[in-house]
Amino acid sequence: MFLSCENLTLKYSHNGLPVLDNLCFEITTPGLHALFGHSGAGKTSLARLLTGELPVSDKFSSGAIKIRNMKTLLYSYNTERLPGWSAISHHLDKITPASRKTQKDDLITLFGLEPYMDQPFNRLSLGQKNRINLVRYLVQDFDLLVMDESLANVDERMREKIILNIKTLYPDRLLLYISHNLIEVAKFCDQIIVLRAVTRQPQCIVVQGQNHRGYQPTAQLPERTMLELMNAA
Amino acid sequence: MLLRRIYQFLIIYCAGILLLFLLKYGLQLSDYVIPSPIELWQTGCAEFVRYFKDVADTLRVAVIGQIISVIFAFIVGIAGRKATWVGSIVKVAAYNVQAYPIVALAPIIFILLGDGFIARLLIASMICYFPILLSVIGIMSEPVVDIEHFYRCTGRLRWQLEVKIRAFENLNKLTTVISGSATLAMAGTIVAEFIAANAGIGYSIRIALYQSDLARILSALFVIGITLSVYQGLLEWAGALIKKGWET
Repeated sequence: MFLSCENLTLKYSHNGLPVLDNLCFEITTPGLHALFGHSGAGKTSLARLLTGELPVSDKFSSGAIKIRNMKTLLYSYNTERLPGWSAISHHLDKITPASRKTQKDDLITLFGLEPYMDQPFNRLSLGQKNRINLVRYLVQDFDLLVMDESLANVDERMREKIILNIKTLYPDRLLLYISHNLIEVAKFCDQIIVLRAVTRQPQCIVVQGQNHRGYQPTAQLPERTMLELMNAA
Repeated sequence: MLLRRIYQFLIIYCAGILLLFLLKYGLQLSDYVIPSPIELWQTGCAEFVRYFKDVADTLRVAVIGQIISVIFAFIVGIAGRKATWVGSIVKVAAYNVQAYPIVALAPIIFILLGDGFIARLLIASMICYFPILLSVIGIMSEPVVDIEHFYRCTGRLRWQLEVKIRAFENLNKLTTVISGSATLAMAGTIVAEFIAANAGIGYSIRIALYQSDLARILSALFVIGITLSVYQGLLEWAGALIKKGWET
């Protein structure tokens, strides 16, 4: 499993302003990694380039993205919705491969979503919507999943539980987590790719996270990593 | 919904009649130009049943024409929703053709098809088809990204699902367009009847026009308005029922 960016450059198509400039980094191990940075730093654009939703070589972008041993690359984000014409359980049943029905049920239980399965999507809170959306991506056949603010509006304890469970359930997949939560990123992620303003070089710095794997109620806050992240950003 | 439509029409109709009477008595116009309230009432009572039958005949043609238009508009709109060359041709053709006053083609249709049912139906369909088509193309070619994204990136977005998502998300717009097109279909049929048909309320109005009988024309307008309000109200009600049923 290998993902690398070499001299990746991207300009906005609507105004030609650069958003990524000469970006270089690589991820060589599976697990939960993070994309971190200020709003507008280019995290979403980078994620969409990595998953092929934006073309890498056209008049607005250049450089190279190298991907080895990964076929299915998915990008999920926090404002996605399910269609409103039937209950959530119906939609999830339709998009879950037969071999993953049990996994889907387990995730629904782990994510605390059982009571909402018979409701239409638009009646849920934002946090519940985001958890439902994440479940449907996690039951797909994927090698890389980008989770762009996928746990936004979910309360702290539930986020922690979800992240730890995802890490346990998908140790062989590459999960790229985009979040503005400094503590969470520092504590649970392995490599943290910090995207800085496009005017700064290098635009991206890789910080080693604490990569906690289990629930540790007495664990110290990862102050050192947090400081590194704040300095880098 | 239905009652609101009828109230709205009655208010507008009464305001129009009031304005006519103000003109009549303000400018001291004769009963020949604008009939008196008593004459209007008597004509309305005498002609109501006959005009109601005529309007029913016109409405029958308009409803069939509208159904045909909606079906065709959806077929062409769905085919033209993609950013392919087919989609581009359909869009450009639709925008250009709708810019032409279709009613101007009515004489050709009457020459070719005579003054029967088919000619009226064709004109009614053509007049309400293009506005529906433009709306359907607009709705169907606008992706609902937040819903479609998952299905697209997991390879599950078939055209049927794409159309279903876009129709569901724009159900209010579609209902409004279809309900609004009822007026166009009715207008198209009446115009056709004005020009050359031998049946329907347009034909009756044409006869009243030749006799300069404003009381009959106003009575006919009343029956047209009430009938169309009821029809549009029913369409809106049906749309609301579909939406409610689809959402639960």
